[in-house]
Amino acid sequence: MAEAAILRNAVEATERIARGGRNLLAGIFVAIALAFAVFAGMTGDTFFFRLATEALIFAGLALSVDLLLGYTGLLSLGQALFFGFGAYVSGLVLKNVAPSFWAAIGITLAATLLVGTIAGIISIRARGVYFALITFGLAQVAFKVVFNTREIGGSDGIIGIPQIRAEFGLFSVDTQSPAGFFLLTLAFMMLLYAGCAYLVQTPAGRLLVAIRTNESRVPFLGYSPWRAKLFAFVAAAVVAALSGSLYPMLRGLVSPELLAFQISGNAVIMVVIGGVGTLAGAFYGSAILTMLKSVIGTFTEYHLIVIGALFMLSVIFFPKGLAGYALPRLERWVARRRGRA
Amino acid sequence: MNELIETLQFVYAPQVVNGLAIGVAVILMALGLTIIFGLLDVINMAHGEFYALGAYLGITLVAKGVSFWVCLALVPVVMAGIGYATERMLIQRVFHTKDRHILTLLLTFGLAIIAEDVFKLAYGPNPYKPDSPIPGASELLGVILPNYRLFLIAAGTAIIVAVWIVVYRTSLGAMVRAAAFDRHMASSLGVPVERVYAGTFAFGVALAGLSGVLLAPIYSVFPTMGKDFILMAFSVVIVGGMGSIKGAVIAGLVLTQIQSISSLYISPVWSDPLVFGIMVLFLMVRPQGLAGRLGHG
Repeated sequence: MAEAAILRNAVEATERIARGGRNLLAGIFVAIALAFAVFAGMTGDTFFFRLATEALIFAGLALSVDLLLGYTGLLSLGQALFFGFGAYVSGLVLKNVAPSFWAAIGITLAATLLVGTIAGIISIRARGVYFALITFGLAQVAFKVVFNTREIGGSDGIIGIPQIRAEFGLFSVDTQSPAGFFLLTLAFMMLLYAGCAYLVQTPAGRLLVAIRTNESRVPFLGYSPWRAKLFAFVAAAVVAALSGSLYPMLRGLVSPELLAFQISGNAVIMVVIGGVGTLAGAFYGSAILTMLKSVIGTFTEYHLIVIGALFMLSVIFFPKGLAGYALPRLERWVARRRGRA
Repeated sequence: MNELIETLQFVYAPQVVNGLAIGVAVILMALGLTIIFGLLDVINMAHGEFYALGAYLGITLVAKGVSFWVCLALVPVVMAGIGYATERMLIQRVFHTKDRHILTLLLTFGLAIIAEDVFKLAYGPNPYKPDSPIPGASELLGVILPNYRLFLIAAGTAIIVAVWIVVYRTSLGAMVRAAAFDRHMASSLGVPVERVYAGTFAFGVALAGLSGVLLAPIYSVFPTMGKDFILMAFSVVIVGGMGSIKGAVIAGLVLTQIQSISSLYISPVWSDPLVFGIMVLFLMVRPQGLAGRLGHG
């Protein structure tokens, strides 16, 4: 009994340190983002504010990919399906129902719970690479359906989505204000991050890690891998769709390209470069990829060659990604500080 | 009664033939994918780009004055070399890690994005439409059919049969199947497993390149041509059973016929969703696909 308690204490201490490291990494990201906001705000810039806001929105999509890949071991090649779904629902609500932030978020959430469950039941029947191919196919088909449905704008998408004020009781944020909407998006994404970080340390979240490690053994412990995987799939769908729901507020339009394979692929690249299974890595990956595209884009329009090469090098030589190398160092730092306190 | 025969003859028959032409090309693609998966457990996300590369090599050689028939032999040889190098230099680097399924998929995905931009850089974004090497049409039972499509069906069928003979009726094929069934056992019996792996990958890539050359005169050649085609090939491989040659042939014929005939009734843009919907339904009933994988029956 005493030995079990000691073991339990040791495991909990390690987990606390790992959580501390992860949250520190996210904290550093927020600090960098705020420093950027102060700098960009002082120079009165709009373009880079918008670009950085877009990077944050896509980081939310990458976060959902990491929740599936890094914690459940499911590689989704079609996560843009939910991102685009969220963007379309939010855009339609803002344009046709009510120009309200909360209505857009709320209806997107409800609709994604339904669509995510249906897509999840279809996808999680498949294991391993089959799952990757099924999600790839589902997203491709959704893309083609949206592209060819004239009622929701077909290949043009929906344009002229009104700018709104997001009401928060004491204050409100105009989505047209570059700095205001950047900060709102940053806060929103950190909430999504906190939600995911909380989720993975609940008993249900631990079950996901167990499935990634050895799915066949999970039923012998009395748990249903099917239910846990469906739960992870729907949670990831919600994270992706909520991120997508901010997109029309930023750009005032949605287009079928939001569901395209390129978006799903980019999210996977962000996660791999940022660090699989770290959650916070998704934000760094998105920031790096957006910066690279913007910098290389000024020299050549063929930026995919560079990004693709970088991605392959990172798969071969740095499979843990940026966060995978930063985290052990941060964890040592957290452990030392805890030890002193 | 006459009306029925006429409908069959003039409405359905041309669609069936068109579907067959596309079908054999899809099967060639799917065979490459499924053999690579069956032996190496690798999902080659760059397969569509290898198909496009084959088509681009073909039109480049034709533009340089090489005859189409020489290209048909030359391009697969060049593509096999590229495939061999890809396997040795890229796939092998992550092949022995724990997450090789996902890592190899990611690597080939990276290769696919690079390739697409390289095509754009080298050839521009506009489509090329090469001349048909066999112009004209023949009348068959009163129906007029383009000669090139008839040739495509004959040549494709011959290649599919040849692949089947190589895999199931030669000692080389026996080595491949042995390596797919149990690589350690095969290795201890003297099968050069490493070279069989690279060779099989090269073979699959060569098939993709060959279908690129064959299909270039029917569809145009453009940088994203691989991506548009790969979904169909993936569907065929999944329905047929990953790693199954027989399954790929059956699924390839059935799915392309469904696509071709349904386009008589619904707009062709909806045929992809239809085929994919059928794939999903099929997968719900039989997740392992039609037939077992390479080396297992």
